Amino acid sequence: MLLEQVEYVRPESVGDALEILASDEGAAPLAGGQSLVNVLKNRVASVDVLVDISRLAELSSIARTADGGLSIGACVTYDALDRSPEVRASHWMLGEVAAHIEDQQIRNKGTIGGNCCLSDPTNNLPPILVALGAVMELRSRTGERSVPAVDFFKGYFATALEPGELLVSVTVPPIPEHSGAGYASLAVGADAKALVRAAARVTLDGSGATIADSCLVLARVAHVPVRDAEAEARLNGADATEEAVRAACAGVADGMQPIADVHGSSEYRRQMAKVTARRAVVQAIAAARGSRNGSTAGGK
Amino acid sequence: MGERGTSHSVTVEVNGEKVSRIVAARQLLVHFLRDTLGLTGTHIGCDTGNCGACSVIVDGKLVKSCMILAPQADGATIETVESLAQDGALSPLQESFHEHHGLQCGYCTPGMLMSATYLLRQNPEPTDEEIRRGIRGNVCRCTGYVNIVEAIREASRGQATERRSVQATAGEEV
Repeated sequence: MLLEQVEYVRPESVGDALEILASDEGAAPLAGGQSLVNVLKNRVASVDVLVDISRLAELSSIARTADGGLSIGACVTYDALDRSPEVRASHWMLGEVAAHIEDQQIRNKGTIGGNCCLSDPTNNLPPILVALGAVMELRSRTGERSVPAVDFFKGYFATALEPGELLVSVTVPPIPEHSGAGYASLAVGADAKALVRAAARVTLDGSGATIADSCLVLARVAHVPVRDAEAEARLNGADATEEAVRAACAGVADGMQPIADVHGSSEYRRQMAKVTARRAVVQAIAAARGSRNGSTAGGK
Repeated sequence: MGERGTSHSVTVEVNGEKVSRIVAARQLLVHFLRDTLGLTGTHIGCDTGNCGACSVIVDGKLVKSCMILAPQADGATIETVESLAQDGALSPLQESFHEHHGLQCGYCTPGMLMSATYLLRQNPEPTDEEIRRGIRGNVCRCTGYVNIVEAIREASRGQATERRSVQATAGEEV
C-alpha cells in the first residue's frame, strides 16, 4: 500500500528526537511501528515527519533499579520483555503478558512504549502496568515528569502525553514480600484481542491465609484500565481462598457501564469481568505464595 | 543525526548480497524487496500486518515486511524465502512442505517457511503447540494448518536426526 508522502529521520540521541518533536507539530515518534504503520496506511492520522527512535540505545535497555524494581526503556520489544531474565526473575507475569501478545512477528517489533502511548483499549500491557503500580517517565525539551500508569491512560487512544513529550521509560516498582500478580483474559482465539481482561496484585499477611492488600484492574469494561475499588475493599481482609475470592468478585464491575461492541454486550462483559477478575486474583495469590500454578489459565 | 527527508539511501544485505538504493521514506520494506529488488518470493497478502505472507527475517528477527518502512531497515541483514534453496536444491524444510502437502495455493507459503525457519532456529525440536504458536502470525486459508504443522514437525525431526548423527560421528572421531 502506498502511504501518504512523509518525511523520515533517525536522530542519534533522545535530545535530538525531542528537538524535532518540539519544533514540528506534525512529527510523530516511530518505535516498532506495528500500529503506527497501519494508522498511516488507513490515513486516520496525518504525520509529516516520522522520528525513528527505535535504535536509540538509551530507550532500548532493561535495568534493575536500586530498590529492586525495573526501568524498562520505551523501545524494549515484547519479545525482549518475554526473554529478559531480569523481568522474569522479579516480575514474571509482566514477561508472560508480553509473551502472549499476538504473534512472534509483532512481538519482535512492537514496543512497551508504543503499546502504552497508543492507548488502544484492547492492548495487553496497560492493565498489568496499572496493577503493578508502574510509573511512566516522560521527557520533553524543557523537562521531565513522572506519571503513574493509572493516570497516564486518559481515554480511547488518548494519554497524558503533551505535545512534544516522549515516553522514555517505564519504571516498575518491586513486588513486595508476600505479594504476587495475576492476569486473565477472555480472548477471541489464542493470544488474540480480548473482550475483557483483569490484572491483579495481592499482598498476603505473614501467615499467607488472608489478603492484606489488593489492586484489581479491569480492562475493556471502559476505554482505559480501571481499578475496581469496591471489589478491592471486599478482597482486603478476606481469606486467600478461591471461595472467598469468588464471593468478593461477585460484585465486580457492578457499578460500571462496560462498553458493548460486536464481540459482546455490556451485560455479557460485566458478567465475564467477574470471572476474569476471580481468575486473576487467584493467580496472584498463587504467585504470592511462590507458586506459578495457574498463571496461564484463561489465556492472555 | 541522520538526514531528514522524503527520500533516503538504504543499504542492506539481502540473502548475502549487499545492495544500496535511494528509496522514498514512505516505501514499505515489502515493496522494496518485491518492486525495487525484484525479489517477488515475498508475498503481499492483507497489507495490514495480519496474514504474515510478507514475513522475512531482518537482523535475525522474524518480522512482517508490510509493517516496516524501507528506511527503517537501513544497515540490516535481510533473509527472504529466496535464501532457503541452495543451488536449486530445496532446503529440508521446503522438502518437508512438499512431502507433507504443506501448501495448496501457495500464497502463504513464503511467510510460513520464514516463520518455520525462525522457529526452528529458536527451538530446534518444538512441540506441536509450539509449532502452532510459531505460525500464529501466518494465515493459511487452504490447508487447515494440519499438514503445515506436520511438515514443520517432520523437518525438525529430520534436523534432530542429522544433529545426533553429526554428534555421534564427532564422538567417534574423538
